[in-house]
Amino acid sequence: MKEHGKFAPLFFVGPHIILFIVFILIPSIYGIYASFTNWNLVGSPEWVGLDNYKTILANSDSTFYSQFFNGMKNTLIFVGLSVPLMIVIPLMIAVALEHKEVKFTSLFQTLIYIPGLVSISAAALIWSLIFNKQLGVVNNMFGSEQVWTATQPYAWITIIIITVWAGIGGNMIIYRAGINGVSKDLYESAEIDGAGPIRKFWNVTLPSIKFPLIYTMVMTTAGAFNVFAQPLMMTDGGPRQSTTVLMMYIRDLAFSHGESIAGVASAMAVMLGLVLLVISAIQYYIMNKNATT
Amino acid sequence: MFEKIKVSKYLAYLFLIIVSAIWAIPVLFGIVTSFRSQTEVVNEGFRLLPVNWIVENYVNILENTSTAPIMQWLWNSIFIATMHTLLVVVVISITGYGYSRMKFKGRDLLFFTLLGISFFPNVVNLIPSYKIIDILGWVNTPWAMIVPGLAGMGNIFLVRQFMKGIPMELDESARVDGASDFKIFSRIILPLIRPVLIVCGLFSFTGSWNDFLWPVIVYTDVNKMPVTAGLLLLQDVYGNYRMIGQLMGSAILAIIPTLLLFFFAQKYFVSAINLNSGIKG
Repeated sequence: MKEHGKFAPLFFVGPHIILFIVFILIPSIYGIYASFTNWNLVGSPEWVGLDNYKTILANSDSTFYSQFFNGMKNTLIFVGLSVPLMIVIPLMIAVALEHKEVKFTSLFQTLIYIPGLVSISAAALIWSLIFNKQLGVVNNMFGSEQVWTATQPYAWITIIIITVWAGIGGNMIIYRAGINGVSKDLYESAEIDGAGPIRKFWNVTLPSIKFPLIYTMVMTTAGAFNVFAQPLMMTDGGPRQSTTVLMMYIRDLAFSHGESIAGVASAMAVMLGLVLLVISAIQYYIMNKNATT
Repeated sequence: MFEKIKVSKYLAYLFLIIVSAIWAIPVLFGIVTSFRSQTEVVNEGFRLLPVNWIVENYVNILENTSTAPIMQWLWNSIFIATMHTLLVVVVISITGYGYSRMKFKGRDLLFFTLLGISFFPNVVNLIPSYKIIDILGWVNTPWAMIVPGLAGMGNIFLVRQFMKGIPMELDESARVDGASDFKIFSRIILPLIRPVLIVCGLFSFTGSWNDFLWPVIVYTDVNKMPVTAGLLLLQDVYGNYRMIGQLMGSAILAIIPTLLLFFFAQKYFVSAINLNSGIKG
């Protein structure tokens, strides 16, 4: 029997390790390091200690401070509005699709899944027109004069609508698979106990799909924190920067046409990453605890 | 009892029909509008069907090869997404083999360390990643979008998990016959992991095709960018809704390739997630 040579494993896992080091490990470490410097993407960064963090967190005279808090606030608003809908709506659809007497399920599923394959920029072009003041569908249908993308709260509503429209297909399929895997005996014994459809959902379906729920909730939240395309294309951050999310400020500071302020942008990115990590951990903890007790 | 099921059935239908309609109408609206003339859209407002079907919008889109070269963008996207997908499949299959079928010291520790690091929020590595692409001379080249995504751990995790379901006896009996790792990999394992590779490939393709933030950062050259980044420019090029038909036509052209892929590979898209949730659940 021939064992593999000493260097054979290196051949199989080595190439990916190099990719991992170059495109994940080094940039992650450098991203944290840069947040303590005055890096401008071009020159060599100079260590400034906690200055960037002091500026964005405590110096209320600085524009970076107001950008950071406005961006973080808007990102959290987006997460708070979009994530519950991105969980509840696909769950309702999955339950309806798994109803034993409903037919044409693959047609419904396809129609709902397709927007997920539409790139967000194409979707934004179409939806912008739908919400357009003079030419759009919405105002024509409802006879309203609303300038949707330039007035609050409508600007947020348009952003949330396009996000939910484009984003629920994946979660829907995960929930369908989960509900499909629930043993039919559980439902039958619940029925014998006289449980109606609502109690069956709460007592049988929900506890049985605990893992898919945790998984989708954590993943959807992580995605929502990185929101960028929808506000950029639908409202361009307006009106009066009320939908400018943190990712838009980070990109502007680091990559705009003037001199790059990558150090401050990195500090903002690290803060965003930290908030995301903490929230994911809390979500995981609460969901896991609730589901086991 | 019987009545109850009936009511819930109609409720389910009603809900599904409303949702599907809301989900389908924007795409249909985009398609219909792309065949209407600007004057018609402005004068008649919203209509279910055009008064006159015209194809001029598409002719104009295709003739504009300077400020909005959409065919070039589509080609760039196709090249990037295809190359990325092929390389993903190669990398995840050989790496997955290494982490599940080979024995070496610290193998699982290494794997889970890399997996743990990859959970780190990737917003932090965005700016340095750009710098690395810049140092490599890849700004405004397809490689900026093809290569960095190959470092991800998610697909390797799936492949490794899938390979664990393949009995080790297969490898061992082949090894007794004198087969090398390379032979075991290519002749035995590779054919067996086809389903998971197809799934990962499809998601890599659509993920790459629809990526937005990264291409907006790494492409400044109009002729080099993929279609998602290009569409951002269109808001200015056909700006302020002076050329609505062209705007909608471009959006529709950008959608077609992934839609075609979906219709040809629909069963894999759905089985895909079964596999995914099967592991998580």
